[in-house]
Amino acid sequence: MTLTATRPAAAAVRPPVKARRRSFRWPLWVLLALVSVITVSPFAVMFVVALSPPGSPTLPAQWPESLSLDTIVNLLSSSGFVGWTVNTVIYALVSVVIILLTASMAGYAFAKKRFPGRDTMMWAFLATLMVPFQATLIPMFVLISELGGVDTFWGLIVPTLANSQAVFLMRQFILDLPDELFEAAKVDGASEWRVYWQIVIPLTKPILATLGVFVFLWHWNDFLWPLVMSQSDEMRTLTVGLASMRTEGSPLAVLMASAALSVLPCLLVFAVLQRYLVNSIAMTGLK
Amino acid sequence: MRQRLRDPMTGLLFVLPMLVLFLVFRFVPILGAGGMSLTDLNLGGEWNFVGVGNYARLLDDPKFWDSLRITLVYVAIYVPLTVLVALGTALLLNAVVFLRGLFRGMLFLPYVTSFVLAGVIWRWIYEFDGMINGLLGKLDLGPVGFLEEASLVLPALAVVSVWKGFGYSMLILLAGLKAIPASYLEAATVDGAGPWQRFRRITLPLLKPALFFVVVIETINAFQTFDTIYVMTGGGPARASYTLIYGLYDQGFKFSNLGYAATIGVVLFALVFVVSLIQRRLLDRGNA
Repeated sequence: MTLTATRPAAAAVRPPVKARRRSFRWPLWVLLALVSVITVSPFAVMFVVALSPPGSPTLPAQWPESLSLDTIVNLLSSSGFVGWTVNTVIYALVSVVIILLTASMAGYAFAKKRFPGRDTMMWAFLATLMVPFQATLIPMFVLISELGGVDTFWGLIVPTLANSQAVFLMRQFILDLPDELFEAAKVDGASEWRVYWQIVIPLTKPILATLGVFVFLWHWNDFLWPLVMSQSDEMRTLTVGLASMRTEGSPLAVLMASAALSVLPCLLVFAVLQRYLVNSIAMTGLK
Repeated sequence: MRQRLRDPMTGLLFVLPMLVLFLVFRFVPILGAGGMSLTDLNLGGEWNFVGVGNYARLLDDPKFWDSLRITLVYVAIYVPLTVLVALGTALLLNAVVFLRGLFRGMLFLPYVTSFVLAGVIWRWIYEFDGMINGLLGKLDLGPVGFLEEASLVLPALAVVSVWKGFGYSMLILLAGLKAIPASYLEAATVDGAGPWQRFRRITLPLLKPALFFVVVIETINAFQTFDTIYVMTGGGPARASYTLIYGLYDQGFKFSNLGYAATIGVVLFALVFVVSLIQRRLLDRGNA
């Protein structure tokens, strides 16, 4: 291309180019700031309404005269909300642990082992990515109800564990680990299980952490599956509980307080791991 | 000899847990969807084989065609909107240096939350006594029934999904932009290309793979939209937001027509599949 031919010239006139760029960038900056305000303000509004004293006039007509934690304290002492939170924590954390374990094992086998049917299996795993979860919602529900799993934790958790993205992410990462490591371990007489625990797990910590955070967020925010699995109020997760509060017409402040509390773990994870989350999406295309 | 035998076995053993999960909870339901769509299974567990009866019934059902049209209109609103917002913000982030990290975080923030949360907040933002109408009221305008008017409800829902989800596509496109060598753009500037020409002739062609990925992913997402509709409109007003997925959920869990609901699931899969094929074909041709 002719573009590369002009490269030295580009280097020679660099200062004026830079100067010109900077001069027209502040409108872009302002535009970016505006869009950012739009993305963040719904959260701000949610927190303001959640902190408005019960029964007092508030947004959108007027700014509340004072803020109070009353609604949030009430919510934290109501068994319903606390139960939903516990369910969500169990759903998310148990899924994270099992997915990390099974996906790293499968990823290790796909990356470093030879066994009959390996490539077929891998393609079959990958092909399931093309089938939207909702397309299999009904048979999945029938299967779980036949197995007696509706309204139980295992019925909620187990079907979500077959996660091909997790397997492939682990496989890609483990492929890049040097074969010599595994050969040396084998020469030293280490058992396969030991190789897994003492080589694969420690070396894949960064990707395990990334995957763990994403699986946590996916499960924390999941809705359709928990909705059809929770027949009783006791089995609801936060998203299902929140949706039921909305459709049953809870007072706005209570609704917003529940919403605010339910999103706090996500915001916390995000605040701590922002740079890391953002980079891993850009690198791996994690969804 | 021992070494050779040990390897295949351990490989299989290590895949086994995930393999069992996949066979039981992915492959069985996928095959089950096809099988079930040929029956009139209901929540009571009774069923008869009806052949392609469900499909015939679907094609005969004006409500199905309505929900298909609504789904396609939603996709046609959501996908360009979210891709434009993602591309615009990615370009802005790429051009701006001061406080870039903070902006990126603020733009990405909604992505880590749930669609249910987005629905709950935005439902109130859109309501008659909600935030937008409150602001419009101060300007002596409105109120606007964003979720009450059939013509406004799909764009209103699309805006919520864009707000909640564009951060992901934005990051993918931002990574694509960063991969474009700065020297190309500088050389073009020296050759007298303006910002628009640089964008058209250099950035856009080089960004095509990332754009393709984003368009496909977002189209598939759009077909699957459920949570916000469930929380915000319940398919209304007057079925104006009654998408295929919403019909699937209603048929399955409200009217207990599991066989019929499975059929809608198969149609959904076929749609998503065909759309990704068409997009691939179109974009491949564009590349040549």
